[in-house]
Amino acid sequence: MERIVCSWCRGQNEAGAEACTWCGAPLDQAEKVTDSGWREAPRLRDLAEFRFGNSTCQVEGEVVPVAEMNLAPGDGVFFEHHTLLWKDESVPLGMLPTAGGMARVLGGMPYVVTTATGPGRIAFSRDATGEVVVLHLHPSMELDVRGHAFLVASHSIRYSFIRIRGFNNILHGGEGMYMDQFVTVGEPGILLLHGYGNVFERTLGPGEKILLEPGGFLYKDSTVTMDVQQMPVRTGIFRHGLFLAEMTGPGRVGIQSMYLHHQVG
Amino acid sequence: MTDAGGPGSYTCRYCRMSSGGTDLSCPFCGAPVDVTERVTASGWEELPAIADLARIQFGRSDCQVSGLYVPVCDMNLAGDDWVFFSHNVLLWCDTQVELDALSLDGAWNRTLAGMPLVMMYAKGPGHVALSHNVPGETVAIPLHHGQIVDVLEHRFLAATGNVSYTWASSGVWFWTASGGEREQHLPIGRFIDRFTSEGNGLLLLHAPGNVFIRDLAPGQTILIQPSALLYKDASVGLQLHFEYPAGATQAPGSFGLGYRGFQTFLRLSGPGRVAVQSVWDNHSFHYARITSSSPSTQWAWG
Repeated sequence: MERIVCSWCRGQNEAGAEACTWCGAPLDQAEKVTDSGWREAPRLRDLAEFRFGNSTCQVEGEVVPVAEMNLAPGDGVFFEHHTLLWKDESVPLGMLPTAGGMARVLGGMPYVVTTATGPGRIAFSRDATGEVVVLHLHPSMELDVRGHAFLVASHSIRYSFIRIRGFNNILHGGEGMYMDQFVTVGEPGILLLHGYGNVFERTLGPGEKILLEPGGFLYKDSTVTMDVQQMPVRTGIFRHGLFLAEMTGPGRVGIQSMYLHHQVG
Repeated sequence: MTDAGGPGSYTCRYCRMSSGGTDLSCPFCGAPVDVTERVTASGWEELPAIADLARIQFGRSDCQVSGLYVPVCDMNLAGDDWVFFSHNVLLWCDTQVELDALSLDGAWNRTLAGMPLVMMYAKGPGHVALSHNVPGETVAIPLHHGQIVDVLEHRFLAATGNVSYTWASSGVWFWTASGGEREQHLPIGRFIDRFTSEGNGLLLLHAPGNVFIRDLAPGQTILIQPSALLYKDASVGLQLHFEYPAGATQAPGSFGLGYRGFQTFLRLSGPGRVAVQSVWDNHSFHYARITSSSPSTQWAWG
């Protein structure tokens, strides 16, 4: 039987499907890739729906999209508590045990990560214009994400945080001291991010490098290394240095166009 | 300017440049070719958003605009082509692109005025991508040799190397007194950015919200919210105008003598093109007494 492969998540879909069953990306539109190799994150149609586990997620709205989940019994998600928009009364909330609580607080990471389990509906949104990016994580994937960019993740994903290596990265890299890390082991999972503005992804070849404004960084495969390069420019009344993140492949890098400009030195 | 896309059978209604019209968008400003003109009954023309992945030519280089909410301008710089921009709009670049600071005069004045102190330049070959940090539209203005455009501060995204950049006093200010306090108001900032093309150049702006343009005839005037101004031809005059609405005689909740409330406008006078943006700062109504101002007019209703 003929199948359609989603160009965003590589998921298999039945012939005739208009949206990907696994990430909601439109299947009847050509992938949009710039001349320099950045592909636009798929713009989900209003009310696009996709599956994870035995549950579904519907994304509604276009300026600040809402991800509404219909959790099946036994399925669960976790999220930062301030992204919760509404929920059914019957949906129980809990806490995800996170190690390194004090280090998280010092690193500016969320101290409280909340869980919700089915059955029932629960919805999430962030606080600024942007796009919901659906990342389908296959088993044995590791993804590093900018702090406070994740919207919600399925319970099969392991959540931790990593310290950004190198004194220069911590001081000048613009990501704070820590990044969220999402790892899948035996089961696949779904991870939803909210990128400010528009979101683009590029796959770097082994050893391929780009320079990136740290505030534009959204996510990367853990195989992509991040270092800091100082530019020959000084800014502001106190002559701050200008630093860019040097990303080196192999792997994917995701960026957001409405970035928070980082200026320290 | 060199025509692109063949003989000049198509003239873009937005940038007035001539091209072959065979592409989906104007090669000089990125406006869609097949879009229906949208003009309000009052004469404002809605500037269509640059189509996703549209390319704009400049010199031997091009700029590809991608994204809907906060568009990214991805410039593919050829050879020695170069562009300049404020350091805070740089999103990413190839490692071989030459980046450095562009020296500017009057750094102290610029710092005091809150304007970017450092302009950077990027020199090809290679890609450099720029974006602003608020939802809105990218506006591409192809400039003829000698053309001068005045731009509200902080709206500039990038310009080609053959466009010179200076700034001039906006000449728009007033002082108010309220109680024992005096306050200076700068409705469009202390300075206005001025761009002059030496040859055929390209100027890129980023406007919060949507953009509307209008060509004023000689002597034609219009009143706008000061911070809604995006850019204007140098031939367009601007002046302060104050209006006192009927009944706005004193500040709400005050007792005894109050100050009559007034609305601040910019009066733009033709000839020339003006552009406004739909997102602006709403700090144009005051309850106070105007003690002095740049040249202005006023009108009291009722």
